Formats: sequence, structure tokens, C-alpha cells
Amino acid sequence: MGNQTLKRLFRSKFFMIGLVVCTILIILSIISPWIIYYDPLKTDLQNKLLPPRWLADGFKGHILGTDSLGRDILARILIGSRYSFFVSFSAVAISASIGIMLGLFAGYFGGWIDNLIMRIGDVQLSIPNLLLAITVVAILGPAIQNVILVMVLTIWVQYARLIRSSVVISKSMEYVSASKILGASKSWILFRQILPNVLTPCLVLASQQIGWMIFLEATMSFLGMGVPSPTPSWGTMISLGRNYLYIAPWVVLVPGIALMITVLAFNFIGDGVRDAFDPKMRSG
Amino acid sequence: MARLIFNRLISAIFVVLGVSIICFAILALAPGDPTQLILPDSAPQAERDKLREELGLNEPLPERYLLYIGNVLKGDLGTSYTYKQPNSELIFQKLPHTFLLATSAMLLSLLIAIPLGILAGVKRGSLTDVFSMFFGMLGQSLSPVWLGILLIYIFSVKLSMLPPFGAESPLSIIMPSITLGIPLAALITRLTRAGMIDVLSEDFITATKAKGITNRKIVFKYAFKNVIIPIVTVVGLQFAGNIGGSIVTEEIFAWPGIGRLFATAIYNRDYPLIQSIMLVLSTVMVLINLSVDILYTFIDPRLRESRT
Repeated sequence: MGNQTLKRLFRSKFFMIGLVVCTILIILSIISPWIIYYDPLKTDLQNKLLPPRWLADGFKGHILGTDSLGRDILARILIGSRYSFFVSFSAVAISASIGIMLGLFAGYFGGWIDNLIMRIGDVQLSIPNLLLAITVVAILGPAIQNVILVMVLTIWVQYARLIRSSVVISKSMEYVSASKILGASKSWILFRQILPNVLTPCLVLASQQIGWMIFLEATMSFLGMGVPSPTPSWGTMISLGRNYLYIAPWVVLVPGIALMITVLAFNFIGDGVRDAFDPKMRSG
Repeated sequence: MARLIFNRLISAIFVVLGVSIICFAILALAPGDPTQLILPDSAPQAERDKLREELGLNEPLPERYLLYIGNVLKGDLGTSYTYKQPNSELIFQKLPHTFLLATSAMLLSLLIAIPLGILAGVKRGSLTDVFSMFFGMLGQSLSPVWLGILLIYIFSVKLSMLPPFGAESPLSIIMPSITLGIPLAALITRLTRAGMIDVLSEDFITATKAKGITNRKIVFKYAFKNVIIPIVTVVGLQFAGNIGGSIVTEEIFAWPGIGRLFATAIYNRDYPLIQSIMLVLSTVMVLINLSVDILYTFIDPRLRESRT
């Protein structure tokens, strides 16, 4: 990453807002078990569906109200954010790793490896993401590793393709031929020379995908294909709270707003990164 | 150029075949014994064995796959466990509803996004431009899960203006279309705006202006044609995506489309139906992508020569 890029990055207002908000959110989610007053899993039927008290009772009250089982919503939102972030970040990291590896092999070795990997990618892209994701979780069972697996399945292809085209271009460059003449092994060329040069677009891609992953996780939880309760997840909270929209709207609206703000903030970051690397500076 | 189309077609067929293998694998590898879902629990083992024989469950996998493909080509997509009806009937009953929703969402978003994007690109820095940027960012963060419920809350709970569920009245399509359409509109706005800015800064535009042609003509006749290409691709892809991705929207609004059918099938672990829907929707996606590709070659003459 050049200095120019970093400078552009920090000059972008959108990016800085996104960065600040995301940092706050991530810090909050990490320290959440220590700052919440109520146990997010503890049901308290006598106090169910309480409207938000905001700060009327100080920090000891149900600041954002309770849900249908009397669980404190703020606590569930904070703990739920840990799950969302963990799943989304893992998914992006893992699919980037796998996608990059496969893309490297496909691009550098070409031939049948290339064909095979790209064909598998094509087939997978033709199956609507959500359908595939839900079906696989339905078969494998709702567990956190399955959710991550499925999310990885959804996006690995993008990395593979990106890397592959970059590698194909790099392959024909002079520094590679020079290395070959000097006797460098294939893997040395691949990993020490080509890889560092093709990573930049992946960085841009990854930063844009985090928001999408958070949204995907929420959607899957909403449809009942996330981790099983009692683990709180924003998607599940929205799904359960739907029934009370008419009488206790905050049960749905609070996690919904949390989701919106989080995805928005990460999208700011993603856009900021993309614009910083793009010399044309279109979005300002 | 016919050769190009032919190549694409062959590719598409292979992709569909690949998809069919995956769909078949899902049913074959899914846990649970299909006979348990068809026969009551009290049925004797002999009857179960007989049913397994009939359904061909004891044949080796490759043979079962060929049987499956043979059936599909005859139009038989299996029978749903839940509804006890042929899957093809169920699917083709519901598919039009989803198409209707996807189409109206697409029209809505194009109606908003293209004028907005063009104006923003032409008048950089103006209020319209700033608004379009906000709209672009915000719209893409509004997932259907949230937007749909928010809309219901505002228009059905608070204002009692629109029906939140079902497809009875013509008003029912408004909120689902908005839910699907806004993220799409945001995307298209950004694309259009970026495209306009790019094109308008190119040399041939300056040349045209120097010739004395009016601004309006420049925008519509020359600039727009160049912007349209990526838009067509994106719209095509998103339309295909909306067919498959409308699950959440249809669930929230109880819209009787294929997304909802799929959700129900998943809930009931109705694997034949799940598998059939996946196959049909994937084929639809492949067809739409193919059409977009072909359309592309017609619009952009540079692509008409052979492609690597």
C-alpha cells in the first residue's frame, strides 16, 4: 500500500466515519460480556415485552426494553454482535485464503487445473447464493462451523477469479521470466514474487465483503438457519420479534437499526478502501 | 458471431449439468430415510423395503443420477413430501408471482436510479449529486430483512395504508417491490453516476461539444449509450439474483412466490422440492446470464469479434 493510497484513505470522510463507528462497534462487542448488566440468555417472563426505559433507571434498567421472553434486548444486541462479527470476519478470512490459493494455482499452472477450478466456480455461481447456503445448513445442521462453511462457499469464487486474472497477467511479465532464467523454483516465483503483487485487489474486495457477510449472516439467522437459540443473533431477534410488531415494535426495530448501522459503517469502509486504491477518485 | 453464441450455449449446458449433479447430490446425501417421510411410522419393514425398491433407492449412485436426469428431461421433477403434488406443478404455479415481483422491483429501481444517476453525473457537486451518493450508500445497506419490516411498521402498523401480507389486492405489491427495489436502485444509481462521469470526461465528448452540439443531445445520444452497457449487465445479474434471493422478502410479506415455497420446503426438510427448486432457479439464472451475455455482444460492437 503506497503512501498516496493511505493519504487518500484518511482524507475520505466516509471512510473515517465508517472506521470510527466500526472500531466502536468491534470494541463494544469484544468487551460486551463485561459491560452488560443482564444475562442475555436468562428468561424473565414476568418482565416480558417491556418498552425501552432508556436511561430512566440509569444503567441498571432495561435500557432498550425486553423481548417476548423477558430477556434484555441491549444485552442480546451486544452479545449478538460478537457472533455476527466472528462469523463474518472468519468467513471473509477463510474464503480469501482458499480463493487466493485456488486462484494462484489456476492462474499459474493453467491447463486442466485452471479449467476445473473455473468450471466449479461457474457452476456454483449459477446456484443462487442464499438457496445454496440455506440448503447446506439444512443438511449439515445448524452449527457455527456450518454457517461459516456455507458463507465461505458463497464468496470464494470471487477471490479465485480475481487472483487468477492478475496471475495470468503477471506470469508474462519480465521479472518472472528473469527469475525463471536464474533458476528459481515454481513455488518461489509463485509465492514470493507474484502473490504480493496481486494481493491489493483482494484487500479491496475483502473490505467490501464484510458488510455483505454480516447481512448474509443476519438473513440466514432470520430464516432459522443460523446458530440455534439460545445464542442471540440479530437475525433471530428480528425473526422472533416480527410477531410483536403491532404491540411491541422495539423488539424488532432495535436489532434492525443495529444491523443497518453496522452494515452501513462497514460499507463506508469498503467504499473508502476501493476509492483510495482507484486513482480516478470518482466518489470524492 | 453465431459461433460466439454457440460457444456460450454449450458452456451454459455444461453449467446446468454441473448444477444438476449438485442438486442430485443434495437429495442423495441428505440425511433421513425418504420412506420415513412418505409412509407412516407404523408401516412394516417389508413395506419400507418395497418402497425403497420402487423409488430406486437401492441402485448405485451413478445409475440413480441418470434416472434422475431422465426424469427431469421428461418434465418429472419428483413429488413433494409436504404437498404430495408433483414438484413441477408447484414450482410453475409460484414462479410467475416471483417474476412479477422481480420485474416490478426492477422497473421501480430503474425509474428512480437512471434519472438520478444521470443528473448526478451531469451536475457534479450539486445537491442532486450529494443526495445520490447518500442514497447509493444507504440503499445498499438496507437489507430486505430490515427494510421490509420497517416498511410494514410505517405503512401498515402506523399508517394503516398498505396491506402487509399476501397478494390479494393490487396494493400488496408496492412494499415488497420497494424492499427489493431500493438496494438495486442504489446500486444502479452509483453505476450510472460513475459511468456518466467517466464518459463525460472523455475526449470525444469535448470534441462533440466543440462541434457545437447542445448539451442535452450530448448526454442522451452519446454519453448514455456508453453507460448503458454495465447497467444492462448488472440489471440482468440482479434480476436473476432477485429470483433466487427473494426468499426473505417473500417470507416477510407472505408473497406466494417461489422464495416462500423454498422456505417452506426447507422448514419441512422436503428434499425433493428443495432439490427441484434449486435446479429450476439455477437454470433460470443460467438462461438470464446467457441472454445478458448475448445482448451485450449486440450492444457493444467491440465485442462482436471473437473473444479469448
